Amino acid sequence: MTLTIALSKGRLLSGAEAIFTAAGMGFPPQDSRRLIIDVGDLRFLFVKDMDVPVYVEYGVADAGICGSDVLLEAGSDVLVPLDLGYGRCRMVLAAPPDRGFDEVWPTTLRVATKYPRMALGFFEARGLAAEVVKLQGSVEIAPGLGLADCIVDMVETGRTLRENGLVVVAEMASTSARLVVNRASDHTKRADVASLIARLRSHL
Amino acid sequence: MHTRLQLPQGASCFTFDEARRRRALEAQVISVFEGWAYDEIVPPLFDDAATFDPSLASKLYTFTGRDGTTLALRPDFTSLVAKIAAGRLLQVKAPLRLYYSGEVVRYEPPRAGRQSEFHQMGLEFLGGGGSAADIEVLVIAIECLEAVGVTDFVLALGHAGVVTALLDEAGFRDSDPPRQAALESLNRRDPAGLVRALDAVTGSEVARRALMGLAEDDGIRQSISSARQVLGGVGRASAALDDLEAITVTLERAGLGGRVAIDLSESRSLDYYTGVVFRIYGGGLGFEVGGGGRYDSLLEGLGRPMPAIGFMLGLDRLTLLVERQVTAARDAVEAPAPVHGNSLAERVLDARAQRNRGARIRFGDLA
Repeated sequence: MTLTIALSKGRLLSGAEAIFTAAGMGFPPQDSRRLIIDVGDLRFLFVKDMDVPVYVEYGVADAGICGSDVLLEAGSDVLVPLDLGYGRCRMVLAAPPDRGFDEVWPTTLRVATKYPRMALGFFEARGLAAEVVKLQGSVEIAPGLGLADCIVDMVETGRTLRENGLVVVAEMASTSARLVVNRASDHTKRADVASLIARLRSHL
Repeated sequence: MHTRLQLPQGASCFTFDEARRRRALEAQVISVFEGWAYDEIVPPLFDDAATFDPSLASKLYTFTGRDGTTLALRPDFTSLVAKIAAGRLLQVKAPLRLYYSGEVVRYEPPRAGRQSEFHQMGLEFLGGGGSAADIEVLVIAIECLEAVGVTDFVLALGHAGVVTALLDEAGFRDSDPPRQAALESLNRRDPAGLVRALDAVTGSEVARRALMGLAEDDGIRQSISSARQVLGGVGRASAALDDLEAITVTLERAGLGGRVAIDLSESRSLDYYTGVVFRIYGGGLGFEVGGGGRYDSLLEGLGRPMPAIGFMLGLDRLTLLVERQVTAARDAVEAPAPVHGNSLAERVLDARAQRNRGARIRFGDLA
């Protein structure tokens, strides 16, 4: 087995399949429930999206594909040599239009998010203390129900925000799918890693 | 008072075979240091907080001394060794070849392979300048890994002068936020991030292209000759490449070419390192096992200007690497011999007689 690749079965999977297939490297069948699948000389691991950089940082996987939102949140020490260009989203701060974000921001804020590290960093940079309510999903309903004043979340089209009565207050980052590589594999499996990067890059 | 049985996060504790294996590895590495005629230095466990490298300030465990001074547990050895060389050892003629082995304490958020308390073994060649000293330290590092039986490993070599020169020429000023962003992007080999950092400055087009090359082109990053074509126009970067080439050519001639690989994007601690820098990676371990480099300006700040180069290995990481790579049966510990005698006094006599012969015994209970 030359390289182990960590992927998540989420919104980035079909894009990963398209690139790997175009580059002639094969890809595991998506109807399988197995979480470790060997295809040719690649081994694929299927893990939670937030865990992709963790598997790669520890060297359990040599490389992986995850969103830059996940990278920003995980803060993992991995190499990020390739922006795969698909799965584009925006990380935004959103709130109901009547919460005063268009003037002086409230001094005490409660923010609901799946991304506590990014949310805290954003508010800290503005000199604001925020209380983070960590949720696993459906964060858009939190302000309307009084759980939080605002949310930090990923937005693809903005439709979910609108339908839940939220407007974008600030854009924090634009994100896309990234190839991540383990620091040690970059040297101990130099030829294989270089060839993986080159093949993927030529099929972007 | 109720004692909490769990240890604080980041604290380390080893027992039984684990502790024995670490001790054995430590002894093997130290015997390599001794074999190259390095002398041991046992630096203090704590010192004035100001002694330590400012980049570690946020990671220090500090406390207040009885006289009100702020003290810190040592977060690394190099700054202590350098300070002692410039003070207490001032009369000892350079070069000084010193090695150390001991725990350091540094606040690290819990992540891959990091504890807050860990054991470093390393050496400092103070007064060692030029390629000969670089080679000496690299060859010792290689021998340390060989000595513990690791076969699949590589030293990734870079040069602080390459990235420093390119950043200066590309228009990044000292400690600018964009300079930090550019360093961070190079360190993560993130071309997208580097493009954003470059947008904030204006400077030499050659240097900008060379920086992008280091971030996104493995050919440039990993080969001195390809790099020379791209960054030959930047004088200081070119001189750094000459420096590095002298090292790799020598190692190749000495049959060690396979042990090193070039990584010109290396951009760690550039305010500290001044010349060759390296990180040591082993197959099967996802993070570096050690590293080092040349730091020619540190001693000057302490009033004893001289060139210096050093490196260190993390004992805990080395232990992991050996576990992954060395499958050969470890020396089983010999079972202890029983002690005989009809009274406690007789048993003491028997125990001492056996111990005199060097036997490993278990005193045990009176039958």
